[in-house]
Amino acid sequence: MGTASEEIDQAGEITTTDALIAWLNARDEAGQALTHPSVRLIINDEIAPGCSVLKPGDTIAFCPPFSGG
Amino acid sequence: MPPLIRIQTEAFDSGDLLNSLAGAEAECGAVASFLGQVRGGKDLVALELEHYPGVTEQALARIASHAIRRWSLGQAIIIHRVGRMEIGAPIVFVGASAPHRRAALDAVSYMIDVLKTQAPFWKKEHLTTGSRWVETRADDDAAAAKWLNEKQDEIA
Repeated sequence: MGTASEEIDQAGEITTTDALIAWLNARDEAGQALTHPSVRLIINDEIAPGCSVLKPGDTIAFCPPFSGG
Repeated sequence: MPPLIRIQTEAFDSGDLLNSLAGAEAECGAVASFLGQVRGGKDLVALELEHYPGVTEQALARIASHAIRRWSLGQAIIIHRVGRMEIGAPIVFVGASAPHRRAALDAVSYMIDVLKTQAPFWKKEHLTTGSRWVETRADDDAAAAKWLNEKQDEIA
């Protein structure tokens, strides 16, 4: 957290986005922000509808709410 | 016809875009459009928009393609600017042509309502007193939800 991006070596352990958020939240204080319901997920350049299954090598972007137009 | 989708830093001419929709298809008797521009007031100096390259284009194409299918449009256009924009500058143009007015008007409402909450753009306000990120407004969420709840399975 506090970085633009990082690699996490937990493949096999973390299999869903909810589990990833819980893991980041447990690991450091700023992870709390990711538990907010307005956080949007983009996985491998695809907007994810909600909690999604993860596989090794996936790239997950945590985004603030969209505000276009 | 596939939709015309463009994300660009330069300003656009909404008159040119409207003219490109008008008269392009003989069977389309209706053209509707929406132009969003930077609203002044409340110490605002300028807006700055960011997007997620690749993902945003894909989201806009999906929204416009859905509108083409659902309302049997002749053409659909979404042009969205990113970067810094001064008060009064155009931000977004949404347009549609269809055989009849209701389809064209509804398609434009759908595209702008859904775009605001479903396409990855982030808006920062530069004020005389500093700058801040714009949060999603509850009524924007409600406007998008109205369309999404109605036809959720087809949009995804």
